[in-house]
Amino acid sequence: MNRATRDRNLLSHSSTLSRRQLLAGGAAVGAALAMPRIARAADEEIVFATWGGSWEAAMRKAWFDPFQKKTGIAVKTISGNDYGKIEAMVKAGRTEWDVVETLPDFQWIGADKGLLAPIDFSVVDKSAIMPGKDMVTEFSVPEVLFAEVMVYNTKFNPAPQSWQDLYDLSRFPGMRTFDGTDVQAIMESALLADGVPPATLYPLDVDRALKKLETIRSQVQFFETNAQGEQYFSDGQCVLGMLPDGRAINIRDSGAPVAIQYNGTILTWSTMVIPKGAPHLAAAQKFLAYALSPEAQAAIAMAYTYGPVVPKALDLIPASRANILSGGPQMQGKAVLRGEKWWSENLTATNEKFNTWKLG
Amino acid sequence: MTGGSVALRRKARSTATLFLLLPGAAFLLILFIVPVAGLVLESLSDPAGALVHYRHILAVPVYLLVLGRTVLISAVTALLCLVLGFPVAYRLSYARPWLKGLILLCIFLSFWTNLLVRTFSWMVLLNPNGIINQALGLVGLGDTVKLVYNTTGVLIGQTQILLPYMILPLAAVMGRIDLSLMNAARSLGASPYKAFMKVYVPLVKTGALAGLVLVFTLSLGSFVVPALLGGPRDMFLAQLIEFNINKTLNLNFASALATVLLATTMVLYWIGDRWFGLGRVWGGK
Repeated sequence: MNRATRDRNLLSHSSTLSRRQLLAGGAAVGAALAMPRIARAADEEIVFATWGGSWEAAMRKAWFDPFQKKTGIAVKTISGNDYGKIEAMVKAGRTEWDVVETLPDFQWIGADKGLLAPIDFSVVDKSAIMPGKDMVTEFSVPEVLFAEVMVYNTKFNPAPQSWQDLYDLSRFPGMRTFDGTDVQAIMESALLADGVPPATLYPLDVDRALKKLETIRSQVQFFETNAQGEQYFSDGQCVLGMLPDGRAINIRDSGAPVAIQYNGTILTWSTMVIPKGAPHLAAAQKFLAYALSPEAQAAIAMAYTYGPVVPKALDLIPASRANILSGGPQMQGKAVLRGEKWWSENLTATNEKFNTWKLG
Repeated sequence: MTGGSVALRRKARSTATLFLLLPGAAFLLILFIVPVAGLVLESLSDPAGALVHYRHILAVPVYLLVLGRTVLISAVTALLCLVLGFPVAYRLSYARPWLKGLILLCIFLSFWTNLLVRTFSWMVLLNPNGIINQALGLVGLGDTVKLVYNTTGVLIGQTQILLPYMILPLAAVMGRIDLSLMNAARSLGASPYKAFMKVYVPLVKTGALAGLVLVFTLSLGSFVVPALLGGPRDMFLAQLIEFNINKTLNLNFASALATVLLATTMVLYWIGDRWFGLGRVWGGK
């Protein structure tokens, strides 16, 4: 089947959807759907598609409200930034989102599929962004840093120092836990544990990683959601493993018997992209420029523990706060930046190997 | 009454039937047949060739292995539901009204409770430090039984969540059985066991088959329970479909996996119809 027929299919999908919405939402919704651009051009507003939840609330406080105050442009949020939705929307020629936060793989997947609009770097200043491979592309800018750290039960004395120790069942007995859907971090930590230097981590030797993982097979319990992983650590079911740093700090501070080891922290970032056909392109570029200012980066870091991608922001943040941020001083010299480009090309194949291992 | 008026009335009745069927048929067509057709087309539309995704599914063993596991665990779940649901349905069918109400309330309370809430409750109950393992620990069996994050956990969760789909069709059939038939068998010299097996069981068969089909089919598409209560080996195909939609944006491949799951379900249903007379469940011959 050729591309044109395929696009028609997608089109008919979304028109079915809008008919349904029309029935559900009445004539006003229908009118807005029928002429989205005309209806919305009048008000100064951009639509930001987000992961939602408490993160969205933090952005509202640190970014959206100050941005509106400064520029008069309101930010409306849509919770649920699925890749599939972006593709359906752009292909149907009905893009309704102006800015989308995504994982970095989408800066290539989205660009290859022709779903993204280029960033206007005459509006968005990229010179202040931290150095790091692939953090800025023609179609994306980084949003914030986040990290995955090693978490261990405080009963261990001496404490485990590295991923190598996580794989040492005799010195540190007990169940290990990882996010079972996070094949990236599992492979990376296994290779670091096996002695691969961070500088030569990519391209990843997946077979070697799985061989290493095999050595702890009987002692691994995967989790599906972070809340589940937090629970494993809090009630002591698992004594070693990996969690997003914010989650780890959260359970540690609420009294779970855990500590954090920053050696071998895996650091990555989220990106912001503009979907092709975004109804408020200029305002979207302005928003990206604002979000990457040191002030805005410091503000979001004060509201949430994701770290700034603009180093100058750290000067505006008290040391006690900076030390609990992803990419903060506590991780300096210890973190490994994830090779997102490699992953964008190898995620499917690696996950197939990982799933085969799981079944084995 | 003349023959002509009978024919006329029959014709009027069939026209009425047609009109009554129309909304349902339209509903199915628009919200089911069209999307499913779209799904199949999506799976076949890739610039690299129509069958590229199906070839990939056949070439990489993990997909068929996971499909096999999905089918196997679903089949065992259906059988467990039958074994556990049969006595409940039996009691329900012949209970006094107040007891009937109580049993139905229990079934529907669990039925109406959110799937995630029920699954997380199982995690609390079944985990190694949970109440069940603690109780087993008191009699010295604490570490010997692992109830969750393995196939046992998936079967417990699936069975509990899908049990109402077994009990209700079973009870519906049981309620219509004339129990004096059993007495007749006894009076003719059958042992209670023989009367039950030769008279009761054949009469209940359609209800049991309906329950098995419902539970099995619903289980095939499960995502939450295997993801949360299973171990690394207990992957269901739905989890791989989700990965390809939300993590790699390979909608064509996800559609191909979904189509394979649908085709498998239809083939299994066809086998069931051919050899076990499943068609009778829905009034066929």
